[in-house]
Amino acid sequence: MWYYEKKLQYPANVSRTDLGMAKFLYAQYGGPDSELSAAVRYLTQRYTMPIPQAKAVLTDIGTEELAHWEIIGTLIYKLTDGATPEQMRRAGVGNYYAQHDKALYPADAAGVPWTAAYIQSTGDPIADLHEDMAAEQKARTAYEHLINLTDDPCVIAALSFLREREVVHFQRFGETLMLVREYLDKKHVY
Amino acid sequence: MSVPEDIGKEKGLFAAYKLAEAYIPIQIYGETFDPKAALIHGTLFPELYRPYPVRPKV
Amino acid sequence: MYSKDMMNLLKEIMAVDFVLYELGLFLDTHPNERRALEDHNNFAKKSHQLKTAYEEKYGPLHINSISGFPYQYINDPWPWEIQYLGRESDVVL
Ligand SMILES: [Fe+2]
Repeated sequence: MWYYEKKLQYPANVSRTDLGMAKFLYAQYGGPDSELSAAVRYLTQRYTMPIPQAKAVLTDIGTEELAHWEIIGTLIYKLTDGATPEQMRRAGVGNYYAQHDKALYPADAAGVPWTAAYIQSTGDPIADLHEDMAAEQKARTAYEHLINLTDDPCVIAALSFLREREVVHFQRFGETLMLVREYLDKKHVY
Repeated sequence: MSVPEDIGKEKGLFAAYKLAEAYIPIQIYGETFDPKAALIHGTLFPELYRPYPVRPKV
Repeated sequence: MYSKDMMNLLKEIMAVDFVLYELGLFLDTHPNERRALEDHNNFAKKSHQLKTAYEEKYGPLHINSISGFPYQYINDPWPWEIQYLGRESDVVL
């Protein structure tokens, strides 16, 4: 089970309201390679992992992704704080306001709602771990695109933190792949 | 056709590797950042820190 | 609403818990690495101490923490509402 801890993993700040950047950040809130996809992917695949290390890694990285989803939500919330409907219309997010006001909604940067079709769960740990490593690379590059879209040093600092986490997760999934393959090789020998 | 001499060395280096499989080196526990530096860098491990060069914006 | 002292303690908890999580993930794939496990256990103690001190002064971080009357877990600010002190300077915590 899970308990909420009343703190962020990283102290995410913004320097000023930026409605356009808030819209772009939806890529990581409800897009294909978003933190939401990552969390649901890992926490779903973990049930059919064959060794304790793999069950632990998917559980713990999946849980961390939920904390990252919260950081993205915080950035969006702060970037839109205090904006009026007129400002939102002028910034080109009047369509978002019409449907959601300033509430958060799990959709991508173009407004496409999040779907489980973004993830897979094959029951084959080798195939699933390759998906997970690819997902970390896609999220890393998404953060680079987002960093290129802003000059707010606070937002860049938070995005750089999240990007680096994808590098670390890739390493852990890679190690897990090695361990799982070793286990499967031994199993097939005896 | 002559075979380059160092091909044997390469074979030695990759002898444990099989075709059509992906490999990643296992991390060895070494130096670590202190807590505040770890949070700033996004990792506890200096050898895993791969910063992205932030381009100056126009 | 929240003081500089509260913010500094909260950020210290964030930093220590981050190290603890990194060590946890490392140990997930390296369960036999004794030095990492020792560091993990030391940071677990440190985290517990800091959170006990924080909760005594500023209220519960968890739904299952002891609370004064009236129930204080619900109090503002929630994590996404906090302006973590300093703007640009905050980038370096
Ligand atoms: Fe990740």
